[in-house]
Amino acid sequence: MLTLAPLRLLREPWNASEGNQSNATAGAAGAWCQGLDIPNELFLTLGLVSLVENLLVVAAVMKNRNLHSPTYYFICCLAISDMLVSISNLAEMLVMLLLEHGLLAFRASTIRHMDVAIDVLICSSVVSSLSFLGVIAVDRYITIFYALRYHSIMTLQRAVVTMVSVWLASTVSSVVFITCYQNNTIILFLISFFLFMLVLMLVLYIHMFALARHHLHSISSQQKQPSVHRSSSLKGAVTLTILLGVFFVCWGPFFFHLILIVTCPTNPFCTCFFSYFNLFLILIICNSVIDPLIYAFRSQELRQTLREVMLCSW
Amino acid sequence: MSALRLISNRTSQHALSNSDYTWEYEYYEYGPVSFEGLKAHKYSIVIGFWVGLAVFVIFMFFVLTLLTKTGAPHQDNAEPSEKRFRMNSFVADLGRPLESERVFSRQIAEESQSLFHFCINEVEHLDKAKQSQKGPDLEGTIRFQEGPRNSGMFEEDLNYLTKFNIPNFVNTEQNSSLGEDDFLISEPPIILESKSVTHSSHRILD
Repeated sequence: MLTLAPLRLLREPWNASEGNQSNATAGAAGAWCQGLDIPNELFLTLGLVSLVENLLVVAAVMKNRNLHSPTYYFICCLAISDMLVSISNLAEMLVMLLLEHGLLAFRASTIRHMDVAIDVLICSSVVSSLSFLGVIAVDRYITIFYALRYHSIMTLQRAVVTMVSVWLASTVSSVVFITCYQNNTIILFLISFFLFMLVLMLVLYIHMFALARHHLHSISSQQKQPSVHRSSSLKGAVTLTILLGVFFVCWGPFFFHLILIVTCPTNPFCTCFFSYFNLFLILIICNSVIDPLIYAFRSQELRQTLREVMLCSW
Repeated sequence: MSALRLISNRTSQHALSNSDYTWEYEYYEYGPVSFEGLKAHKYSIVIGFWVGLAVFVIFMFFVLTLLTKTGAPHQDNAEPSEKRFRMNSFVADLGRPLESERVFSRQIAEESQSLFHFCINEVEHLDKAKQSQKGPDLEGTIRFQEGPRNSGMFEEDLNYLTKFNIPNFVNTEQNSSLGEDDFLISEPPIILESKSVTHSSHRILD
């Protein structure tokens, strides 16, 4: 093998040095970890569902003039990143299927370039998706804690600057990552970026939840309706658990995989974890499927516009 | 064109020549890893990770629900007169344009605005159902108000606020002088109550 694709290096980090071609099964065929066999149909279905959902979100935001505000622009950008995540994973799967069945025939160098291009797309869409999750959390935080000054803090110009800079930064950084993927510092940077986003979202959402609960307390104490207060607080807790829980479950395994690559690449226990890499990719695509449901479609206005979009086109 | 050996993603390893570039999705090479003499189960990290993740999410949910429960039984026991006194003094604070209290009242007003913003969806529905005609300025202010509304995170949770009538709170905010944010402060009273819409519209137009 002349070069290893970056994603493949993530799957078998013990093969980092080139030329290490030892096919040593060493008679331990029964002892290796089998991993999970993800059928291609599942990849295809999830990718298509995510694509359609996010296209609908983008169409709804573009169609309704009421949704032309920074909050919805960020949701629209999250939908675009999720769309790119699913498109790039679908593209990789399709090209590999076509190559496997011999329907496409290219030179080795062309295939390598295609592989690098698609991996750059995957990496940049993953980074931008994570960034926009954090940006939406910050935007909601400003809406709640700086409500009176929101329109002077989050002007349309600043929102556009934020979106453009997130896209530029994710593209440039993913090009850098994929071209020098053998460096461990790249993986460390990705892990620290994920941890930063995780801590940011945790802190912001829990602070927002605490304030909402405090207001419910003070208002319900005036109106003497504690039962309504409790059910509303419970709904808030459920919403927050879903938001943060989906984030952890969908992104956590992939980045734990990266952590294990850095810390214990040749440990047999860690190797068993590596064998589930395809499941982690499926979870990231699932995140692209679930994100429109918990971010975009929670808004009444957007749901209404979505109904209009679907009725007009069908 | 060099012959490319493609490995299907179901089978185990094949021998590869050095000039091939193969692009596989699943490719397991067993390398120098040996599974001899393992003390623990080989899937221990995998199982430990998923169990830990599930426990963490459930723990987070219980912490959040416990946060909602603390204070609710205490609230039933609190004296309503004491709470009313606190509310009145707080309302009186908003009316006084002293410097330090201006900052305090601005903070409180900001916090309260946020909750009122969440009700915009529900109240707009009520308003549209009840009143067919509105002044153009009101339309503008209501549309302007839609900006900082978040995308419905808590709107279902707090929709009962639309049924509340908190006239003291609302009227005192209208009377408070908070400089450049005046026109923002006077907007929620428009949204909250359909009756006060026409009343407040005169204030804005004047």
